[in-house]
Amino acid sequence: MAFELADILPALPEIILSAVALVLVLVAAYGGDGAANARRVAHLTLAGIVLAAIALLSMTSAQSTAFGGMFRADAFADYMKLLVLMGSFAAVFMSVTPLERDDINKPEFSLLVILALVGMMLMISANDLMSLYMAVELQSLPLYVVAAMRTNSLRSSEAGLKYFLLGALSSGMLLYGASLVYGFAGTTSFAGIAAAVSETDLPAGFIIGMVFMITGIAFKVSAAPFHMWTPDVYEGSPSPVTALFAIAPKVAAIALMLRLTYGAFGSIALEWSQVIMALSVASIVVGALGAIMQKDIKRMMAYSSIAHMGYALAGLAAGTHEGAFGVMIYMTSYVFMGAGTFAIILLMRRDGQSATRIADLRGLSKTQPLFALGLMVMMFSMAGIPPLAGFFGKWYVFLAAVNAGLVPLAVIGVVMSVVGAFYYLRIIKIMYFEDSEAPLDQDVPLANKLVLGVSMAVILLFFAGLNSIMDAANTATMALMAPF
Amino acid sequence: MADKRCSGKFPFCWCENENRVWFFQYAACNYPTAELFTVIVLFRQIQQEIPLEIFLGEYLPIAVFFAIAIGLSAAFVLSAFVLGNQRPDDEKMAAYECGFDAFDDSRRQFDVRFYLVAILFIIFDLEVAFLFPWAVTLGGIGLFGFWSMMLFLAVLTVGFIYEWKKGALEWE
Amino acid sequence: MYALIVFLPLVGSILAGLLSLNNQDRPAELVTVTGLLLSLLLSVIAFAEVAIGGTPVTVDIGRWIVSGDFAAQWALRFDTMTAVMLIVVTGVSSMVHIYSVGYMSHDNARARFMSYLSLFTFAMLMLVTADNLVQLFFGWEGVGVASYLLIGFWYKKESAHTAAMKAFVVNRVGDFGFALGILAVYVLFDSVQFDVIFAQSSLIATTNIEFLGQSLPALEVAGILLFIGAMGKSAQLGLHTWLPDAMEGPTPVSALIHAATMVTAGVFMVCRLSPMLEYAPFALDVITIVGAMTAIFAATVGLTQFDIKRVIAYSTCSQLGYMFFAAGVSAYPAAMFHLTTHAFFKALLFLGAGSVIHALSDEQDLRNMGGIWRKIPVTYAMMWIGSLALAGFPFFAGYYSKDMILEAAYAAHSGVGNFAFVMGCLAAFLTAFYSWRLLILAFHGKPRASADVMAHVHESPLVMTFPLLVLAIGAIFSGWLGYELFVGHHWQQFWGDSIFILPTNAALENAHHVPTWVKLLPIGLAASGVAIAVLCYAVFTGLSAKIAALFWPIHLFFFNKWYFDELYDAIFVKPAVRLGHFFWLRGDRDTIDGFGPDGVSALVYRISGACSRIQTGFVFHYAFAMLIGVVVLVSWYVLRFKG
Repeated sequence: MAFELADILPALPEIILSAVALVLVLVAAYGGDGAANARRVAHLTLAGIVLAAIALLSMTSAQSTAFGGMFRADAFADYMKLLVLMGSFAAVFMSVTPLERDDINKPEFSLLVILALVGMMLMISANDLMSLYMAVELQSLPLYVVAAMRTNSLRSSEAGLKYFLLGALSSGMLLYGASLVYGFAGTTSFAGIAAAVSETDLPAGFIIGMVFMITGIAFKVSAAPFHMWTPDVYEGSPSPVTALFAIAPKVAAIALMLRLTYGAFGSIALEWSQVIMALSVASIVVGALGAIMQKDIKRMMAYSSIAHMGYALAGLAAGTHEGAFGVMIYMTSYVFMGAGTFAIILLMRRDGQSATRIADLRGLSKTQPLFALGLMVMMFSMAGIPPLAGFFGKWYVFLAAVNAGLVPLAVIGVVMSVVGAFYYLRIIKIMYFEDSEAPLDQDVPLANKLVLGVSMAVILLFFAGLNSIMDAANTATMALMAPF
Repeated sequence: MADKRCSGKFPFCWCENENRVWFFQYAACNYPTAELFTVIVLFRQIQQEIPLEIFLGEYLPIAVFFAIAIGLSAAFVLSAFVLGNQRPDDEKMAAYECGFDAFDDSRRQFDVRFYLVAILFIIFDLEVAFLFPWAVTLGGIGLFGFWSMMLFLAVLTVGFIYEWKKGALEWE
Repeated sequence: MYALIVFLPLVGSILAGLLSLNNQDRPAELVTVTGLLLSLLLSVIAFAEVAIGGTPVTVDIGRWIVSGDFAAQWALRFDTMTAVMLIVVTGVSSMVHIYSVGYMSHDNARARFMSYLSLFTFAMLMLVTADNLVQLFFGWEGVGVASYLLIGFWYKKESAHTAAMKAFVVNRVGDFGFALGILAVYVLFDSVQFDVIFAQSSLIATTNIEFLGQSLPALEVAGILLFIGAMGKSAQLGLHTWLPDAMEGPTPVSALIHAATMVTAGVFMVCRLSPMLEYAPFALDVITIVGAMTAIFAATVGLTQFDIKRVIAYSTCSQLGYMFFAAGVSAYPAAMFHLTTHAFFKALLFLGAGSVIHALSDEQDLRNMGGIWRKIPVTYAMMWIGSLALAGFPFFAGYYSKDMILEAAYAAHSGVGNFAFVMGCLAAFLTAFYSWRLLILAFHGKPRASADVMAHVHESPLVMTFPLLVLAIGAIFSGWLGYELFVGHHWQQFWGDSIFILPTNAALENAHHVPTWVKLLPIGLAASGVAIAVLCYAVFTGLSAKIAALFWPIHLFFFNKWYFDELYDAIFVKPAVRLGHFFWLRGDRDTIDGFGPDGVSALVYRISGACSRIQTGFVFHYAFAMLIGVVVLVSWYVLRFKG
C-alpha cells in the first residue's frame, strides 16, 4: 500500500487544526494553569482557525475524497465549514475576557473547542458511516467537558452530566441505526448505501435503521422531541460555552443531516422527508411555545435555537435542491444572528457577575444604546422581519416547502413564527420601554464589539450581498446533490 | 472506605471538583461498543463474496468458544467450592489496601482516582491492541504502515505527556 | 404662470410648516404673505386675460389616476368662473394673511397658523381650478382638512377641538353624497372630465338609473347627490350645524374659510355644474327650496344670538341660502355675483368683529360690549360699511347682488321661485334688523364691559386696519363695478362657456324687466329693519326684552337654533354612540379580542406553560421523551409498511 499525498490533502484544514491542537496540548501542559496561558492558547486557537480557513479557501472546491473515500471535500463542505469556522472563531474570540472575569479561563477550553471543531468539520465531510460516527463523537466529547467547565457550579456540572448522558443515548441510537443500515446495505460508504436501496426495493429494517440514525443526529441538532437537553445545557453552561453551542455545532449537525439524507439516503427522499417533517413541526411548535415563559435569556435562546432548527428542517423536509439551498441560506443567517446575540448576552454582567435574566436588559437602550440597537437588529432578524437576514432564511425555506407540496408545514411555520415574534419583540420592549434602577456593567471587551459589529453589518446588509451568497449556496447545493 | 468528599446525590461517584471523571467513564463504556462494531464491519468486508448462510456458519467457532469459556469458568467456580479448604476468618472480610470492603454493594461510591487509573490503563491497553496486528503485518504494509503507527504513537505520547504533566499519574 | 397662482401658497405653506418646527414666526409670516400677494397679482393678470380677454386655458400638470377606463388628470382649468374665484380667494386670503400677522401677534404658534392658512388657500385654489370632479373632490377634502386644522387651532381648548370634529363629521355626511354623486356621474358619462360631462348632458337627460331600488331620472339623482355635498360644505339647512360652532377658530379663519371662500365652494360647484343641472329641473327646485329655507332659518336664529361671531356666522348661512336659490332658479351669474360681493363685505364684517374682540381683550359676548365706538373709530366705520353692504343699501355691493337675486327669483315665475322670493324678502328684513342690532349692541349705549377691559380698549394696529380698508373698498365698489359684467344684458360675453343656461330658464333675463315694486321692496324692508332695530335697542332699550318675553316660545325656538343640535343629538349622535359602545365592548372587546388576539394569546400562554412543565429537569424524563419519539417514528413506518 503506497502512500499518496492526494489521499489526505483534501483534509488539509482538518489536518492543520489537528496539528495545532496537538501543539496546544503541549502548550497547555507546560504553560501552567494561569489565565495568561489560557489567553495564549486561545490566541493560538484563533490563529489555527484562521490558518484552517485560509487553507480551506485556497483549496480547489472541486469534488474530491480522502482517506479511502471516507472523507469528502466539495463546495458544500467548503460552504458549511466556513460557517463553522467563522462561528467557532467568534465564539472563542468573544469568550476570552468573559471567561477571565468568571475566573474559569483554563487553557483546556480553547483546546477542547479546537478538537470539537475538527470533529465538526469531519462531520461536514463525512462520506461513510464510520467517519460519520467518529466525527460525531469527536465533536461531542469535548463539548460535554466544556459544558461542565465551571467546576464550582452545580448547574454547570448538571448541564455537562445531562448533556453527556443523553448524548450517550443518542450515540447509541445512531450506532444502532448505522448497524442496521449497514446490515441491509452491506456497505458503510454513503455511495454504496445510496446504490443499494431504491423506493421499490426497500427492506423495512433499512428504514428503521434510517430512522434511528436520523434521530441520533436530531439530538445533535436539538430537534424536538430530542431537544430536552438544550434548555438545561444552555442555561447551566457558562455563557461563552453556550455561545459556542448555539453557533457552531448546530451548523455541523445540520450539514451532517444534509449529507446523510441527500447522500446516503438520496434515493429514498420520500421516506425520510416524513421523519424530518415530523421533527420540523415538533421543533417549530416546541421552540415557539416553550420560549414564551422563559425568564432567562440563555434558556430563551435555547428554545429559539430549537425553533430555528425546526425551520431549517422544514427546508430539508422538502428534499429538493431548493430545500437544501434554503437550509444553507438559513444556516448562514443563523450563524450571524447567534454570534451577534451572544456578543450581547456575554456582556450582560452586573457588579462583575453574569446577569442573564431577561429582566436584566431593562433600560439597556439608555445605558448602552448601541448594544440595544444591535440586539434589536438581531431580534428583528430572528423574528424574520425583512429586509434582515433572518427573513431571507425563512423565505427560502418556506418557498422550498411550499413548492414541494408541504403547505401545512409552511402554514404551521408561519403561524408559529408569529408566536415567536412575540418573545423576540418582548426583548425589544424591555430594552426600550422599561427602566432599570441597576444598569448593567459598562465595561465591554473589544472582541464583543467587533463580533457584534460584524454580525450587525452582515444581518443588515444581507440583502445587498444576497446574490453572491445565493450563488455560493447554489454551487454548494449542486455539489451536495452531485453523484459520487 | 468511601471518599468523604463525594456527595451522595448521584448514583455513582460524583465529586464536585473532579468532574473530568465521567468524560473518561463515558469513553470507557462506549469504546467497547465501537470496537465491536469495527470488528464486525471489517470482518464483513473481508467476507463480502460469501453467501449469508455460509457467512453465519463462520460464526460457529465463536459459539464454540463461548461455550468452552462458560463451561470452564463454571467449572473453576464450582471446583473452588467443592475442593477448596474452607476456613472462615474475620480478617478475610477486612478491606484490602485499596481501601474497599471486600463484600459490599458494588454500586457504592469510591474514590475517583480509581477511575482515572482505569481509564488511563484502557487507553494504553488499546494502543497495544492496535500494535499487535500492525507488528504482524509490518512486512506487508511497508514504510507507510510504519510511519502511520509512529504518528499514532506520537499523538498518544503527546496525550501521555499532558496527563503526566497535569499530575494525573500521581496518586496524591 | 397660471400654475404658479395655485402652487405659490403650497410652497409658502410647506416653508412655513418647516419654519414652525423652529418657531421661526416672523420668516414664516413673511414667506406666506409674500406668496399670497404674488398669487393675488398673478390672479389679477389671469382675470384680465381669461375673463376680460375671453381666453380660457387649461394647464396640464400630469396624470393622476389611470385605472381601466377610469382616468383622472391633474389639470388646472382657467375660465371666467375660475378667474372670478381666483380674485375672491387670493384677494380675501391675502388680506386675511396680513390681518393675521397683527391679530395673532400674541400667539406662540404663528408659523403653524400661517402654514395652515396657506395650505387652505392652496386647497381652495385646487378646488376652483379643478378640471374634473375628482380633482374638485381633492380640493374639496383639502379645504375640509385645512378647516378642521384651523377650527381646532387652539386644540388645547375642549370646545375648539369638539367643534373641529363636529365640522369634520358633518362635512363627511355631505361628502358622502358628493362621492356618490361623482360615482353616479361616472356611471352615466364614463368620465369625470367636465368637458365630457357638459357635452353629453343633453343626451343623458332622459336616462334613468337604478337608485335605492327605484328607477329614477339619472341626472336628477346625480344632481341631488352632488348638491348634498354642496349642502355640507356650504352649511345649508340640515347640514348647517357645524358652521356656528366653527367660530371657535381664530377670527381670521372665520373670515377666510367660514365666510368668504370655503363655504361658497358649494355654490361654486353648483354653478360649475350648470350645464348638467340645467337638464335636472327637479334638482334645481330642491336647490331653490333648500336655499330659501336656509336664508330664512339662519336669519331668524341670527336675531337672538349674543355671540358676535355667531351672529355673523348665521348671517353667512343665510346669505349662502340666497346664492343657492339664485342658482336654483338658473340665475347662476347672480349667484356668482353675490358670492363675490358677499366675500368682500362678510370678510370685512368678520375682520371688523375680530378687531372689536381684539380691542375688548377677547370678549365675544354682545351683552358685555357697548360704548366703544369713539375709541375705535376705524373699526366702527368699517363695521358700518360692512353692515350697509350686507343689508343691501343702495350703491353698496350687497344692493346690486342681493336685489338681483330677489328679482331673478320673482322673475322665474314658478312656484318655488315665488316661495324663494317671499322668503328672501323676509330674510332681507331680518338681515337688516340683526345687523343693526349687532352694531348698536357692540358700539353704542353704556359700556357693559368691566372698567379694567374698557381701559385697555384701543384701535387695532395698521397691519389689521389696512386689510379692513382694502375689503371696505371691495364692499363699497364691487357691486357697482361688477353689475354690468356679471349679470348685465351681456353676461354671456363675460361668462363665456363657463355658465350655461337653457333658453327656457330665462329668470336672469327677465329679472331686468320686473315691476318697480319688486325692485324697491327689498330696500324698503331693509330700511324698516334698521328702523325697528334702532327703536328696540337704541331708543327704547327695554323693548327687545319685552318682545322676547311676550313671544317667548318663538324666541326660545329661535334662540336654540330651532333645536337642530338637540334633534341631531337625539336621532344620530346618541344612538351612534350607543351603537359604538356596543360594538366596542361586546363586538370588539368581547368577541373579536376575546376569541381573537386575547383568546389566542391566552391559549398560547397556557400551552407554553404546559411546555415548560414538561421540561422537568430530570434526565430520565428527557431520555424517556427521546425514546418515545423514536418509538413513534418507527411505529409509523412499521404500520405504513404493513398497511
